[in-house]
Amino acid sequence: MHAITTTGLTKHYGRGPFRLPLGRAPVPIRALESLDIAVREGEIFGFLGPNGAGKSTTIRLLLGFLHPSAGEGRVLGLDMVRDSVAIRRRVGYLPGGVALYDLMTGERLLDYFAELGGRPPVRRAELCDRLELSPATLRRRVRDYSRGMRQKVGIVQALQHDPELAILDEPTEGLDPLMQRAFYGILAALKAEGRTIFFSSHVLSEVERVCDRVAIIRRGRLVAVEEIAALLARHKRNVEMRLHGMPPRLDGVPGVSSVEATDGQLTCRVEGDMRPFLAAIAGAPIVDLTIEPAHLEEAFLEYYGEAEA
Amino acid sequence: MNRALFRQTWRAQRLKLAVVSTALVVWGFLMPLIYARFGSQFRAIVESGIVPEQLAKFGGGDIFSLQGSIALGFIHPIAIILTSVFSVGFSAGAIAGERQRGTLEVALARPIARRTFYLTLLEAAFGFVGVTIAALLVGAAVGAAFAGVGGEFPFRHVPLLWLNGVLLFGAFTAVGLAASASFDRVAPALGVTLGFVVLMYFLDILGSLWPAAERLQAYSLFHYLKAKAILVGRAAPIDLAILATVIAAAVAWALVVFPRRDLAAPS
Repeated sequence: MHAITTTGLTKHYGRGPFRLPLGRAPVPIRALESLDIAVREGEIFGFLGPNGAGKSTTIRLLLGFLHPSAGEGRVLGLDMVRDSVAIRRRVGYLPGGVALYDLMTGERLLDYFAELGGRPPVRRAELCDRLELSPATLRRRVRDYSRGMRQKVGIVQALQHDPELAILDEPTEGLDPLMQRAFYGILAALKAEGRTIFFSSHVLSEVERVCDRVAIIRRGRLVAVEEIAALLARHKRNVEMRLHGMPPRLDGVPGVSSVEATDGQLTCRVEGDMRPFLAAIAGAPIVDLTIEPAHLEEAFLEYYGEAEA
Repeated sequence: MNRALFRQTWRAQRLKLAVVSTALVVWGFLMPLIYARFGSQFRAIVESGIVPEQLAKFGGGDIFSLQGSIALGFIHPIAIILTSVFSVGFSAGAIAGERQRGTLEVALARPIARRTFYLTLLEAAFGFVGVTIAALLVGAAVGAAFAGVGGEFPFRHVPLLWLNGVLLFGAFTAVGLAASASFDRVAPALGVTLGFVVLMYFLDILGSLWPAAERLQAYSLFHYLKAKAILVGRAAPIDLAILATVIAAAVAWALVVFPRRDLAAPS
């Protein structure tokens, strides 16, 4: 069962079904081109891409803020256009750079959003506790909050009603490292309870840390959808060794490339299964060996490099 | 209607509503006093021919009768500015302001249809207009009693005058909310609404002061606020119907435009 599916989802701005007859006709912008994704129930799905790639457009389409130019989408089994209100009843949403009502206190704001949503804030106490939002803090007006505190309140408002699906747009923006860790703990707890999280970010390290799968999007087009583990396993690791004698013969070893041997040093790149490489260097006069683990950042850049080409 | 949104809207506006209503009570209070104190003197001045007749019937009101002074209180710029705090200011900013601040998407992330959101704000705005018009009339009633002319106060016609006032300023409110639902920023919504009200007022005043431009009054919504006619028992249902039609047109526009608009990320 999928929490989110999109088929050929496309959004072009400036050519909507209705446009105010005011001013010059806008130049069409292709914000999203034929997006096909399927987010499984109970997973943390990362949606990765640089600013302007189409992440927020996708989220806004899923929540009914935008109308698709073509294609369709289903959220929790419901049609994203026809059943938008029913979808929002079961979803929690944190917008990127969340804006809040400055004149309300944090507590009143959370009460108001709970009333608007029509569902009791069953998780609020737990979330406030994890994010260190004290009752005294919540009694202050939002305008007196720092950016990080606003973000914490934004997270609480998105999750306090225990939604089946949380759609979070750049959720750790403005959080300090300690609070980021607390937030990852919240995500882990939600996942353990079977909730689905759709997580948009351009911070690769956090996607690598918390997500099960990742979709990479660029210029409105889907570049790849991968299991994080598979993505990293496929990615080339950088290997560097210092030798006290003849370097091992690595020509033709499966997965090994870019071999360079100079003056007692050897560097190469290894992709996929490490065993053939390890077998090839067994017995070599190695003094020091460094195998740099694959990082999503490199995998991401590699993908982008391929897409660019 | 969404009750939580309705309650919050009233809660957020309550201080402003109290201040504006108090100011309108005071303004309404003054008009019967002026009539009681200076009405006969002004009548003598006008009858002497020193002041042109048109000036003495500014906007359909006068100060030679209690009914006329109450009508003058309605059409006077002070009353219009005070009432416009809600019929123009609140309505133009209600949706466009939330869009501009970025709070609209947080609110609409809840299970509220855009039409419900709009209709709830419309209902709240009409409530504010209803309270402000009532404040003006309460002030007039108290002022009449205070000035010793309470016996002349036409209580039985007051509900119809209230309705006429609510429909006039409600029409501006509906236009303001329709503009607010159509723009992403407050400035254009406010500009359209304010421009509309000023144009209406200009046409009405021009038509009432310059006989050659009298025909223009028919194009002004202010022309259909017949305060004195209502208070002397000569109400014309067509006036109310015209104002109601304008409201219906503005509401229909907003109900079509707002749900079909793309709400892109605030820039």
